Formats: sequence, structure tokens, C-alpha cells
Amino acid sequence: MNQKKVLSGFYVLLLSVMLVAGGVSSASAAAGTINVGALNDMTGATSDVGKDYALGIAEAIHYVNDTGGINGKMIKLHQFDYGYRVPEALTKYKLFQRLGCVAVLGWGTGDTEALSPTVTKDKMPYISASYSGHLTDPKKTPYNLFFATDYSTNARASITAWFDKKWPKHKDFGKRKPRFACSYMFASPYASAPIKAIKDQATILGFDIGADQDVSLFAIDTKSQMLAMKEFKADLIWHGNTTMSVSATIRDAYSLGVGADHIVNLWGLDENLPKLAAKAAEGTMGAAVCAFFGEKVPGMDKVVEYAKKYNPGIPADKRLIRTVQAWGDVLILREAMIRADKAGKLDGESILKLGFETMNNFDIGLGAPPVTFTATDHRVAGIVPVYEVKDGKFVLVEKVDLKGRWPEKWATDWIGW
Amino acid sequence: MHKRLIISVCLSLLLIMSLVACAGFGAKPDQQSFKTPVVTLNRVEVAHYWGYWFYGAKVEVTRGKAGNNGAPLDLNFVFDIENPNPYPVALENFNFTVAFEDFELNSVGSQEVMWIPAGKTNQLRVSAMFDVWQSFMSLGVASGLKLQEKKIAAHDLLEKWWTTIPDFAFPVYVKEGSAVFKADGVTGVAAFGAKYPAK
Repeated sequence: MNQKKVLSGFYVLLLSVMLVAGGVSSASAAAGTINVGALNDMTGATSDVGKDYALGIAEAIHYVNDTGGINGKMIKLHQFDYGYRVPEALTKYKLFQRLGCVAVLGWGTGDTEALSPTVTKDKMPYISASYSGHLTDPKKTPYNLFFATDYSTNARASITAWFDKKWPKHKDFGKRKPRFACSYMFASPYASAPIKAIKDQATILGFDIGADQDVSLFAIDTKSQMLAMKEFKADLIWHGNTTMSVSATIRDAYSLGVGADHIVNLWGLDENLPKLAAKAAEGTMGAAVCAFFGEKVPGMDKVVEYAKKYNPGIPADKRLIRTVQAWGDVLILREAMIRADKAGKLDGESILKLGFETMNNFDIGLGAPPVTFTATDHRVAGIVPVYEVKDGKFVLVEKVDLKGRWPEKWATDWIGW
Repeated sequence: MHKRLIISVCLSLLLIMSLVACAGFGAKPDQQSFKTPVVTLNRVEVAHYWGYWFYGAKVEVTRGKAGNNGAPLDLNFVFDIENPNPYPVALENFNFTVAFEDFELNSVGSQEVMWIPAGKTNQLRVSAMFDVWQSFMSLGVASGLKLQEKKIAAHDLLEKWWTTIPDFAFPVYVKEGSAVFKADGVTGVAAFGAKYPAK
């Protein structure tokens, strides 16, 4: 009996040691993981730009994990295609909460603005590819963040750059006001987000403003809208859609001899624009929030390396600035989480207040402006580089310093819209 | 009796030491000897089928909200994943693009971790949901100019695909596939692509 007891005791002890060892191992693995959600559009109305962004998000997260994660903790990315359908975005957000995600890498203006009250209530940092100006005022949308200058700031900068550089060379300069109109999908929250701001800037600069033209995000025939622009004798057209639709519109304007110059919101301005619109794209201008894919800027070597490593089946010439934009958002989230974690708390409020809002001219590289967030202003920068297509390539036209040129308006009037 | 106890304990300790030794001397992954597992498309299945229909947002509905609604098409992609290594390998991420003929329509994948035993082949089923309106938009934004050049109406193409998919009367392509494998800190990425039916 005694021997049996000793043997039983020995085996029980052995089993306990093995179980405890396994348990400790599992527990430490669980403690070393940070859940992050990602909503992307790979199939919907913005998939022409959304797919590349989605690839960039996954690649950048691999890079973060390969380089030490968040103070040693690895990120588990839960990435979903929501097809640009807001109800699906709301449903997936609920899944992210159940999965214990501490932050979400979002996508479009529709889902981002629809979720904004919820993420504010939940204190969930939502780092999106929507750079809507509506999301920059922390009094209204404290948990919405992005690494880039916002659509409204970019639109103001683009029209200003054209006014500074192109209008003085026009034959009618000094004789009349320049004429300006907008082409975009009225029903798209993304495309319509900066309309009020760009018209405000057009008024400040002294433009005549014509009627807006409604162009679908998946339009391939925009002749009627461009004929209306021709009738108005527009000197400058702002395009608010994504690349495919903008290419079709610029091609139609070219073939109809509209004669206007074009400025484009950043989701319509990428490496595909000169490919799709060819000669018609020459001279097109717009703000880029970071370097184009493969440009020689700090950090780009890693972007290219990880694109090749994790998506070897996609040729480099198919990759776009969208990948670089995705890295921009991931890198600021990484920095915010590292800071919050070092301060001892990795929850949403700490990621915002001890992470993002402590960044002052934080340099992420990638040709992006240094990033500053404060508790009262989530616009990351006031200087915007504006590019122009020349011989099929993007060249810098001007860095427009909106903050320096209109300091009072920048400080008090222009935030949040 | 006391002797039996000593022998039992010694044998148990010997067994534990052997197990530990086996674990130590087993094949260990390293980046140089790591062979990236091979991903092959086994088949594509129509998982569920509703035929073809579409009605626009102006049509009054019996219940619920009006909208641009079309028939869903639910496909399953079944892959064979062969691990040629003498140790288990974890599949951590798997994604690919689906094209009908030469039009890219969808990007799908799996993020669940799956272990593949040493020298064995596992199967992975990835479901991909398409619907008429979503595919119409995807065609428009990604391939609008190509459709224009080929003088094909998007809805005609969609109707052809939806009605002939039970026979796979057109090729379905898996493109730009990427599968990320890990084994004890070693990472390998397999690129893959396929056409179905293969001929």
C-alpha cells in the first residue's frame, strides 16, 4: 500500500509539473499577444486603391513583429474585407471588440465616420485611411487618428499651389478671376468630405465657382459631366474620386477639349493614374501624403523588402503609394502602443493620451511629414507637398505652408471640417 | 517490494530523460534548411447556389430595405498544403486573389493558424462569397477601362458567370497567392497560383 502510494504520488507530481509547465507556456504566449483589427476594402467601390493598402497593412504588421513587436509583445492582426459596406464594417467592429482588440486600422470615410461615435464611447483608437478633415478635432472625434494631412488641408494646398504656380502663367491672368469646379460622387462620404473646405479656399483666393458635377466612383463614361465643365469654361477642376474614375474623367476631359487643369484628391493620385490616363494625366496636380512606392526615402527599403517577401506573387510595378500609406498608419500605431505600454497601460485611453498625443514631430520616414498630435489638434502637419505629373512621373511643385500663410485661420477656423 | 519501487522510479526517470533527449536531438528548423511548403489548388466548389438575379435600389421590396441586391455566389477553394520538412510547420496567413477569366473580382484568405505535421499534406478550405452588386462595383473600379475597351457590359458578364458557374464553363483563376509559414522562428512564404478547371 505504502509503495503504491509513493508511486501514485510520484506520477501525480510528474503530471502536475507537466501540466503547470504547459499552462505557464500557454499563459505567457497569450500574455505576449496584442490583438489589432483591420477593416479593408478589397472588393468594393474603392478596391482599386484598397487592395494595395490592405496588403501594406499586413506587411507592415509583419515588419513590426519581426522587429520586436510592442516591447516584445507580438501583434495578432485580424484583417477583414468589408467591401466598403458600412453595415458590414459595424458588424466586424463588434467582432474586434469580442476578440479583445486594443485598436483598429480602419479604411474609408463611410465606415470611419459611422463608427466615430462608437469608438469614442468605447475609447478605441481607430487609425484609418480616411483622412477626412471631420476627424481632426479631438473635441468631437478624439479616437480617430491618421498619419497624414487631411483631405481638406490637402485640397486647400492643391488649389493654392495651382493658384501660385499655374494661374500666373495663364493668358487671362490679371484680366479675370480663375474659374473652378468640382467633380466627384456626391453620395460618397470620402469624395464629398473636403468640398466645403476647398470651396472656402477657392473663395479666399478669389475664384469663380461653378456647379459641381456628380461622377460615380465606378464611372467609365463621364462625357456629359465634362461637357458641363467645358460650357462653364473651367480653368481648374478638382477631382474627388479614386484612381479609376478620375482616370476616366481626365481622359474624357482631354478628348472633349475641356481645356482645364486638374487637381486630384490623394486617393485618385497614384502610380496608376499616368498609366490609365496616359497623355491626359500630364500636368495633373495633387497632394501626396508620403513618398510613392519605391522612392528613395528613409524606410522605403523595408516597405519594398516586405512587399517582396510576403507577397512574392505580386510584381513590384503593381504596388502603389497605398502600401506606403498603410505603413504610415501602422508605424504611428506601433509608436503609440510602445509609449503607452512603457507607461504601464495598453488600453485605448492610454494609447491615445500616453501614446499618440505625446508625439511631437515624430519622424516615421517614408517621405511623410513629421507627425504631431496634441490633445486639442489631431491635424498632423500644416505643410503639404503638392506634386504634378510630368512625363508620366510625379515631381514636386511646391510645399504649401498653410499654417504659416494663414496662421489664424489654421489655428481657429479650419480644424474639424 | 522496496526493490520494485526503486526500479519503477528509476525506469520512469529514464523514460523522462529519453523523452527530453529525443526532443533535444530532433530535427530543428533553421532558415537555410527550411523548405517552403507547397500549395496546390485541389478544386473549386460551388458551395451554395441561388442562380442569378438582380434588382436595383428603386424596386419596392416586400420587407426590409430597398437596395442594389443580387444573387450571392458562394465558392469554396480547396488547397493541398504539403510540408516537406522533417518537423511540423504552422500556416499563419493565407491569401489570394480570385479572377473570373481575366477580371479580378475578390481577395480572400484565412488567418487561422494550422499546423502541418512533418512530411504530411493538409487540406485547407477557403470560402469566398461574391454577390452581383459587389462584383459589379469591383469590375467597375478595377477593370472599368478594360471592359470599355472590350465593349463588354458588366452585367452581361456577371450574368454569364453566375449562370454557367455550375459547369465551370469559364476559367476561375487563383492569383497572387501568398502563404506564410513559421516553424520555431523560421519564416517561409509560398507564392501560388492556379487555374480551375486546369484544362
